[in-house]
Amino acid sequence: MSSDYEYDDDDYYDDEDMIDGTQDDDEISDDDMDIADDIKSAAKGKLKSYEVDYDSLSQSEVEKHIRDDTEHICGILGVDLSTAQLLLRHLKWNKERLIEAYMDNPSKVLVDAGVALTESHSQPQAAPIRTQSSSSSGSNSRRPTRSSSKLIPSRSSRSSPTSPTTSYSIPKPLKASKSIQHFLCPICFDDDPALRTLSLDCEHTYCSGCWTAYVVSKVRDEGEHCIRCMEEKCQLVAPDNFIQSILVPEPGAPVGDPTEEAENAKVWARFQELLIRYFVSCNRDLKFCPYPSCTNTVSCPSASSKLSLTSVVPIVSCGARGIGGQDEQLSQSQGRLGALQGKEHKFCFGCPIEADHRPVICAVAKMWMKKCRDDSETANWIKSNTKECTNCQSTIEKNGGCNHMTCKKCKHEFCWVCMGPWSEHGTQWYSCNRYDEKAGQEARDSQSRSRASLERYLHYYNRWANHEQSAKLSLDLYAKTEKKMEEMQITSALTWIEVQFMKKAVEELDKCRQTLKWTYAMAYYLAKGNEKELFEDNQRDLEQAVEQLSELIESPIEPENIPTLRQQVTNKTVYVAKRNEIVLEDTANGFLDGRWKWNASVDGFDDPDPSLIAF
Amino acid sequence: MDARLRRVNKEITDCKNDKTSNVKIDLVDESPFHLKGTFPGPEGTPYEGGTFEVDIVIPESYPFQPVKMKFITKVYHPNVSSASGAICLDILKDAWSPVLTLKSTLISLQSLLCSPEPNDPQDAEVAKHYMTSRSSFEETARYWTRIYAGGPADESKSGQDPVAIAGLEKAHVDRFEALGFPRDKVIDVLRRLNYRGKNVTQITDDTIVEKLLS
Repeated sequence: MSSDYEYDDDDYYDDEDMIDGTQDDDEISDDDMDIADDIKSAAKGKLKSYEVDYDSLSQSEVEKHIRDDTEHICGILGVDLSTAQLLLRHLKWNKERLIEAYMDNPSKVLVDAGVALTESHSQPQAAPIRTQSSSSSGSNSRRPTRSSSKLIPSRSSRSSPTSPTTSYSIPKPLKASKSIQHFLCPICFDDDPALRTLSLDCEHTYCSGCWTAYVVSKVRDEGEHCIRCMEEKCQLVAPDNFIQSILVPEPGAPVGDPTEEAENAKVWARFQELLIRYFVSCNRDLKFCPYPSCTNTVSCPSASSKLSLTSVVPIVSCGARGIGGQDEQLSQSQGRLGALQGKEHKFCFGCPIEADHRPVICAVAKMWMKKCRDDSETANWIKSNTKECTNCQSTIEKNGGCNHMTCKKCKHEFCWVCMGPWSEHGTQWYSCNRYDEKAGQEARDSQSRSRASLERYLHYYNRWANHEQSAKLSLDLYAKTEKKMEEMQITSALTWIEVQFMKKAVEELDKCRQTLKWTYAMAYYLAKGNEKELFEDNQRDLEQAVEQLSELIESPIEPENIPTLRQQVTNKTVYVAKRNEIVLEDTANGFLDGRWKWNASVDGFDDPDPSLIAF
Repeated sequence: MDARLRRVNKEITDCKNDKTSNVKIDLVDESPFHLKGTFPGPEGTPYEGGTFEVDIVIPESYPFQPVKMKFITKVYHPNVSSASGAICLDILKDAWSPVLTLKSTLISLQSLLCSPEPNDPQDAEVAKHYMTSRSSFEETARYWTRIYAGGPADESKSGQDPVAIAGLEKAHVDRFEALGFPRDKVIDVLRRLNYRGKNVTQITDDTIVEKLLS
């Protein structure tokens, strides 16, 4: 894995210039913008230490993977496509295990996977679909389907399953049956002679209306992709082509109720999605894009093990933008809303956080999120702002008045300052000279400890929340900046291309704030020491640069200043980008070298040295 | 006609016409989707002689989703919650098949009474009782059948220890009797408090004495 993260000497050399802080902003010319672009494009070929190698797959690409795997199994085991699909799903898409188990005892695997067994399963062939499916319930759709019975062998579904005509080879899971005698569907008790009936190899026959309702209920309500025969204890699984024949009318089939057909088509699409999701969830190298109605999948083999997550922050992007596949064009025309819709689908491959939480690793990010969510901080507030009555232990907040407290509940009188009983104060009302009383001191000690820990947390939390807030406001900033860019084109001779520097700056700002935000989560958990100090130095440099750039962007435009402004903003953007690189790179390298030590216990790391625990 | 309604109506009629099984299904109100099932406790079990009522709710997607059933009658059984009547049975959950009917499900419940599954319990306290002392468990189950399900008073067992019948431990009853309370009253109070298993540690002696005094 480490070979993916080669140290890039050239980049680092540039960075060192920046670290000592002697870099004069004026030195950076307009050309640096291009250099920054060069760095970016170079990064595409060679990964930075804080980036991971990943691939984005569209739904059809995943389908292709599924097809390849299935065909591979077909070839090796000599089974047909739908059997191979059921077998693979049964063994969670683990091809090696399937082949092993199948070689060991094929009939057991076939039975376990819900594929029917007969004596002659050696001749694979495609399952013929001999039914015409339709949405069954309307009586007008039943009548015409009757004619389709010509396609079906003239054989009652109720004929003895042991008769030679019924011995099917395995790959024939689907069969339509047409009852000649009175067929009574055992589920809906319909005995319409025109009823179309279906069964799997097990000969458990039901009307097509019940099959449809059953499949719809399983897929839509339960999100289940493994659909067994409706008979009690029957383990046969309906293959895909059977499901399809139930949900999707074949071309030329009689037209049923259009709304129901549309509904069934949706269920069929959902069924296919469930199959893909199942495949993705079985494969540790794959993860489904968590953005709403996005159907892309990301493949990131370098972050598939739990161990790798202690040194890598696998932030990936599925390649799509916007909501539900709406493209970027929309974003450019619609300002604020557009900025939101045009956002890249960035997420963490290693944990459920749907955002870029670099530079901090998943385990620490999770701890921080939990801490922020927890009520523990409420408790901390109570600890810091209230005291307990020394007599009845009820919690008291002093919101004014003198130090002579009388507990509302038990009427105990005590001194707020020393916590000792008021009676000891004698006649010296309203002034406590018993500051060093033992009982009082203990109460005060525990209070100051919890106050210090709360202050420490609030220090980091406020900064974290501040950057989060700013990042949210950046949507407004996008819209405002776009207006400014238009304004600039009018007031100066700059072209649309030339005013793009503003947009670039805003984008960079957004990125850096995201990084900064998470550096506070990281710093909160970092153990005291030189490493932490270096980290905080880098953090400070980035933060300063970010605030300066932010100020520049928001400053009012005066026509005569535009060239200077452009130069300044461009310079700052490059500088900020570099500072961001430094923070990310240095932190990522630190993880790879095992440089970071924590003040709390983190999954995958040694427990912290007790002397380093800060709270 | 709505397939679900047709099916439920047929099931109810079939059940009425079937004289061989003693399972009964009745309407609770006007709706055919809220029913009450009744069956006798199986012979040769502590539930013999009792009549057990089951609340039945037919969901929207019946028969493709399982019916919802729970005991109305209190039952002392490892797979039935002694408090709510909730039932732990595979066919009411993932092993449900649309072929199953209300009648067949009620018969399954009846056979559940014959063969408890203490390793997959709904009521852990009852299951523990079943595992540790089968005879004491059966006494209690019979007692509950008599009290809640209208089972016969067991004459042959009239000489039996009332402590065991109530599913209590002799040591506990003795302890409170030693405080000067009448034995009958102690048994009655401890039974009502369900003074068993974990409850022994959770219910303080003070609470019991308070109840005994009231």
